[in-house]
Amino acid sequence: MGGRDATMVLLDENGIRCDGRKVDETRRIMIKAGGLKNADGSAYIEFGDNKILVGVFGPRDVHPKHMSDTDTGILRVRYHMEPFSVGERKRPAPSRREIEISKVIKEALEPAVMLEKFPRTAVDVFIEVLQADGGTRCAALTAASVALADAGIPMRDMVAAVASGKVADTIILDVNNEEDQAGQADMPVGYMPSLEKITLLQIDGVLTPEEYKKCVQVGVDGCKQVYELQKKALKDKYFGNGGD
Amino acid sequence: MGSVSVIDQLKKTQILELLEQGKRIDGRALDEPREITIEINAIPKANGSARVRLGDSEVLCGVKIQPDKPFPDMGDKGIFMCTAELLPLSHSTVETGPPQAPVIELARVVDRGIRESHMVDVSQLVIEKDKSVVGVFADIVVIDYDGNLFDACSYSATAALLTSKTPKWTMVDDTITLVDGEESPLPTTTIPVSVTMGKIGNHIIVDPNGDEWDSMDARITITSDSDGNIVALQKGGSDGFTLEEINQCGDTSVRVGAKIREIIKAAQKGSQ
Amino acid sequence: MDNKRKYVIPGDVVTTGPFRPEQNVTLEGEKIISTAIGISEIYEDSVRVIPLTGKYIPKINDLVIGKVISHTSLSWELDINSCYVGFLPAQDVFGRDFSAHADELATKLKSGDLVAARIANFDRTRDPLVTISDRDLGAIDSGDLVKISPSKVPRLIGKRGSMIQMIEMATNAAVTIGQNGWVVVSCETPEGLLKAKKAIEMINEKAHVANLTDQVKEMLEIKDDET
Repeated sequence: MGGRDATMVLLDENGIRCDGRKVDETRRIMIKAGGLKNADGSAYIEFGDNKILVGVFGPRDVHPKHMSDTDTGILRVRYHMEPFSVGERKRPAPSRREIEISKVIKEALEPAVMLEKFPRTAVDVFIEVLQADGGTRCAALTAASVALADAGIPMRDMVAAVASGKVADTIILDVNNEEDQAGQADMPVGYMPSLEKITLLQIDGVLTPEEYKKCVQVGVDGCKQVYELQKKALKDKYFGNGGD
Repeated sequence: MGSVSVIDQLKKTQILELLEQGKRIDGRALDEPREITIEINAIPKANGSARVRLGDSEVLCGVKIQPDKPFPDMGDKGIFMCTAELLPLSHSTVETGPPQAPVIELARVVDRGIRESHMVDVSQLVIEKDKSVVGVFADIVVIDYDGNLFDACSYSATAALLTSKTPKWTMVDDTITLVDGEESPLPTTTIPVSVTMGKIGNHIIVDPNGDEWDSMDARITITSDSDGNIVALQKGGSDGFTLEEINQCGDTSVRVGAKIREIIKAAQKGSQ
Repeated sequence: MDNKRKYVIPGDVVTTGPFRPEQNVTLEGEKIISTAIGISEIYEDSVRVIPLTGKYIPKINDLVIGKVISHTSLSWELDINSCYVGFLPAQDVFGRDFSAHADELATKLKSGDLVAARIANFDRTRDPLVTISDRDLGAIDSGDLVKISPSKVPRLIGKRGSMIQMIEMATNAAVTIGQNGWVVVSCETPEGLLKAKKAIEMINEKAHVANLTDQVKEMLEIKDDET
């Protein structure tokens, strides 16, 4: 997160953002379920210019054995960015940011997955960011949820995610890279639509208590939109033309 | 591949029986590679990129070009570096953590194939001699595995480099400055193409698929350039080749390589 | 799709009310929610979802096709396309009085060998125990292994075996279906083998299609008066 750039126009007098969107509009989102031959489940998402691929293996044996749990399966998540995914080439070794995001995404998925029926196993979620443009953790969480369903991992709900934020004192939906760098606040939100629970929430920036509540609401509403696309992705793969 | 995956014995026997009759399990000829698809500019924000499918093996190469310090004794040359990583989502046996010897070998063999052909003209990548040069980084990631990553990775790096655009930098008051709007194609001199052959029993097959790869006794990867010269070679596996087989493989690699070069050129043309 | 059957994804509410939640559903307050991608079914007093994806979960007495992946001096380990590895004790093959003197296990079964086996015992605290000591079980020494999604196995078998019998009769192939989605096909003629494999792959891809049986019939070139 760089310094705030005061010269970029993030919101013009007509309420149009720097990339032409309105304040409550998400970028173009495309989600595809499946696609990888070897993974047990997979999904691919394009969220604006973000391009993220997720592969899931499991439930499967845990190595080394001492890491397994005798009462329940465990969830492991690895969020990883390719060297060519960002402006300045990133070295292949995991950065502290990637390690933190891996943990945050894992904890956003854990309330949804039901692994008690698979003791001594692990479910591995591998997230690969091929191209990044602001909001990767939300796009990644959204795709990971689809990949887990594709793999047949029992889940009590899907998890959909998008970041809300604030630019020019206005609450907006789906923060892009410029808005993240130069705006006033960025709030990634992850949400289970059926159970109505927020499982991922972070804030970077300054919000009054009223702005905070509005930002959360805008984020949750945005997640519901994203959820419709997750549903569509799974329907397209599994239900052919017979979806309800 | 990650740790050893066990091929089922029935399949291995089938592969050998078919080879005795001059056939392969997927119906290809012994010297026939699988279908190759190349998608140029798969990652538009990188300076160059190519996604390659070779059968069901899928790899992605992204090229980043940015200013860098030259190597100590090579102040008049730019930097070229090629890496390869096996992503854990590509196969159930791939582990996370520092790369193991097979992946390191893969990366180094692909790097050598391109470097030894002098494909990237590093003498044209100098901003200020001894102080600042252009670094070209070709990073390859394997997304799905079905045998023969050597060739899949090689084609993706070659195609990505061929279609890369490099920005222009100059020195202004001792600071490296980007010159806006002056992008040009990355200077390249040749198109290296690698061809990997596997040995099963006494049979040599080009581009082994996943099952054939698991049944192989030995393999050899040979890279040739646009002039038909052999520029790099790596033999692997636990069996040996006869002198005649080595010679035969050399000829096959140049012949098959020429055909694959046309596919890469067609993809390059299609993207312009 | 009539009212009692619906396509669902995880989190979808199947129904509310006094139903007993069975496979692949869970009770959240009053609502019965699907935990899988699949087809929900509501019975008189229970609800379940038939999954369209997911690994094989061993059930006692299931016939499975397994692949030997390793062995110790006392047992073999089998890949049975599940989250757990199948455990085949030496006694099952050598008899009760077996005691390990040398590496005898490799003489009967070695890595890469395929077997038709039955799940003898399974609870989630232990790896599933398998047996190959019945007449229709044991090492498989010929045929092609085709892998389909375990959730498609019932479709491949068909009502009272009708689908698989149709394929076997039309192609003269012998098909052994593992509940774990691994299927062994053998046939005297290469054409019959290819046709049988194509039929199996078609069912794997199109299990949700309504007129699948007709499509398979057409592909196998079965005339109506032959069935």
